[in-house]
Amino acid sequence: MTYRADVLIIGAGASGGVAARHLAEHGFDVVCLEQGDWPDRSAFPGARPDWELAIRKDWAMSPNVRSRPEDYPVVHDDSDIEPLMYNAVGGSMIIYAGTWPRMLPSDFRVRTMDGVGDDWPIAYSDLVPYYNAIDQQIGVSGLAGDPAYPPHDDYPLPPLPLGAAGRRVAEGHNRLGWHWWPEPNAILSAPYDGRRPCVQRGVCTSGCAEGAKASTDLTHWPKATAAGARLITGARVSRITMDPRGLATGAVWLDRSGVEHHQEADVVILAANAIGTARLLLLSADDRHCPDGLANSSGLVGRRLMMHPFSVVTGWWDDQVEGWQGHFGASITSYQFYETDPDREFVRGAKWALSPVGGPLNHILPMRAGNEVWGPDHHELMGRTFGRGASWAIFGEDLPEEPNRVDLDPERTDSHGIPAPRVSYRISDHSRRLMAFQEARAEESLRASGCRETAVASMIPYSGWHLMGTARMGNDSASSVVNTRQQAHDVPNLYIADASVFVTSSGVNPTCTITALALRTADLLVQHRSEQKVPA
Amino acid sequence: MTTPTSPAPTADIDIHRLTALADVMLPAAHGMPAVSDVKAVESYLPQVLGWRKDLHQPLVRAVDALDPSLFTIDRLSALHEEDEDAYVALTTAVAACYYLSPVVRELIGYPGQAAKTYDPFAYTEWVAEGLLDPVVDRGPIWREVPG
Ligand SMILES: Cc1cc2nc3c(=O)[nH]c(=O)nc-3n(C[C@H](O)[C@H](O)[C@H](O)COP(=O)(O)OP(=O)(O)OC[C@H]3O[C@@H](n4cnc5c(N)ncnc54)[C@H](O)[C@@H]3O)c2cc1C
Ligand code: SF4
Repeated sequence: MTYRADVLIIGAGASGGVAARHLAEHGFDVVCLEQGDWPDRSAFPGARPDWELAIRKDWAMSPNVRSRPEDYPVVHDDSDIEPLMYNAVGGSMIIYAGTWPRMLPSDFRVRTMDGVGDDWPIAYSDLVPYYNAIDQQIGVSGLAGDPAYPPHDDYPLPPLPLGAAGRRVAEGHNRLGWHWWPEPNAILSAPYDGRRPCVQRGVCTSGCAEGAKASTDLTHWPKATAAGARLITGARVSRITMDPRGLATGAVWLDRSGVEHHQEADVVILAANAIGTARLLLLSADDRHCPDGLANSSGLVGRRLMMHPFSVVTGWWDDQVEGWQGHFGASITSYQFYETDPDREFVRGAKWALSPVGGPLNHILPMRAGNEVWGPDHHELMGRTFGRGASWAIFGEDLPEEPNRVDLDPERTDSHGIPAPRVSYRISDHSRRLMAFQEARAEESLRASGCRETAVASMIPYSGWHLMGTARMGNDSASSVVNTRQQAHDVPNLYIADASVFVTSSGVNPTCTITALALRTADLLVQHRSEQKVPA
Repeated sequence: MTTPTSPAPTADIDIHRLTALADVMLPAAHGMPAVSDVKAVESYLPQVLGWRKDLHQPLVRAVDALDPSLFTIDRLSALHEEDEDAYVALTTAVAACYYLSPVVRELIGYPGQAAKTYDPFAYTEWVAEGLLDPVVDRGPIWREVPG
């Protein structure tokens, strides 16, 4: 039997978890539908001998490679970047790296300051209280005072270890006069909120069995359910339902055996990530009210997908730095080439994050930088590089372009027969210039840090971990999908909590901002609850 | 999902033939043993294929397609062009078996992804030492926004 909830949230990942906890703690009756399961930490492969085999198949970052029943295929034949994600309670945070930077003030004003993209209708200052609150909820380890940012509250925990490589590159940047700072990470450096600290195993992107890396299954869902939220797993939503007045009434979902259910609610919040949310809005098209998709009078649903072109520049020292070890988020970061410099052939910039390079298989069968070498030279290469390297992971700001988009594939479906999303995406010439510049500087950085050898893996396709922009925020309903409260212009009781609403991508990892926005959306919903339109 | 699994039967794979191929890919050189020296294939292949069942059939194809007496690294590259899945299965299985060997791990200094303890307040030492001072002394690098 179904009942009507105050709020239905679709997706129990980063944004869904944050919104659910806040709403439930403020007295809302919340139901969440999540297609995946609760993660079983005892099944995470990081401490097992088959770890490097598992991350190439059952624990791959790509839903298409994992191909579990809860994964939906993402068609990406026409995309320069393959979208990556994880479907479970905790969402893609289960396999994310945990790097936790805020966006910068200029990120919200790229049109005004640099003449590209669009300005956000909100400012950095609007998010500061939510950034501060979310850092506490998540348990962020970091060091305040980074001159790349306006001053802000200190992090709740001390920074994670620099490691031998981090220390060397920090010294290298001091020699160059370049910025570096310990990276803030959503990874515990000390016990916090009943969770244990990081043990530096370096397997973060296949799940943190220690529970040191924050994901909402640990940080938010237990508190949300304690406050009364109901989380239904194995529940795949196929469409949002509407009443004749143009209000959302809930969603149709299928359980694991394919039986259809309807969940009614006063308010629906989409939190299915920038591909899953666009897919659901397009699946919810109806011939009479919204033939092109729900909330899509602007025609922008699915468009302006941004994924951050991503390059890896690896350097190798003459001696061991235990390059397989250490949290995968990042030890140090650099914003030296983040802000626009008018002397360059591009505007905007990129953030760099220094990461470990993985175990032996990652050297021989590289998913990032490096080549496969067989025969006697294999051993020479391993002797020269194994355990001696570190990588700058470079995230370039990706400017929004309407042809980069998500739509529905006419043929492929998920395991329930629901049309799969199809991604069309091209890395622009502007991004290529931006990334080429950053790659060359990163090689200089590593050489100045004492590396004997460097290699660039430029704009690698297997890197679509940051999904943004497919239902942008704006004041004008003709040129945006949601308003500044992340409420659909066309459907006043439909909200979007995830990174679909991003106007531009910034050059930083998005989840700190996604969760701050989700908290703000939930908070504004609480504040405006008396005026919220709901179905009869 | 991958969970600790029992070894897979490998009766349909000619282990000697695969070992001969693997010895071309990873021969004794630069102080490292060949695959056969550490018995990597016979010791670990059943476990590797137990973990990665998806590699089994393409590996059978690779072993059938390659003649050990004529096998070279160029022939391996040609396999990549002809049958990518077979190539991936062969390289993955051979590398996984080899680097599971404790002898090989010892030689390359790899203990696996080990847990470590550390002092979370050790950062105060490098802060006191002045490692960040040049960064701080250069002042803010973020841009003020208008309005
Ligand atoms: C390998 C990897 C590394 C990353 N590293 C970082 C990092 O270091 N720092 C950072 O900031 N970000 C990182 N990210 C990105 C980060 O994980 C995402 O930005 C974040 O999880 C997005 O939050 P979300 O709520 O939008 O979506 P998700 O966390 O992806 O959650 C969406 C949820 O919705 C569910 N869902 C979707 N469709 C349906 C449906 N139809 N019915 C029911 N449920 C549905 C999904 O199952 C999923 O659980 C990384 C991502 C990956 C894949
Ligand atoms: S390195 Fe730390 S955060 Fe990463 S998986 Fe290990 S314990 Fe978790």
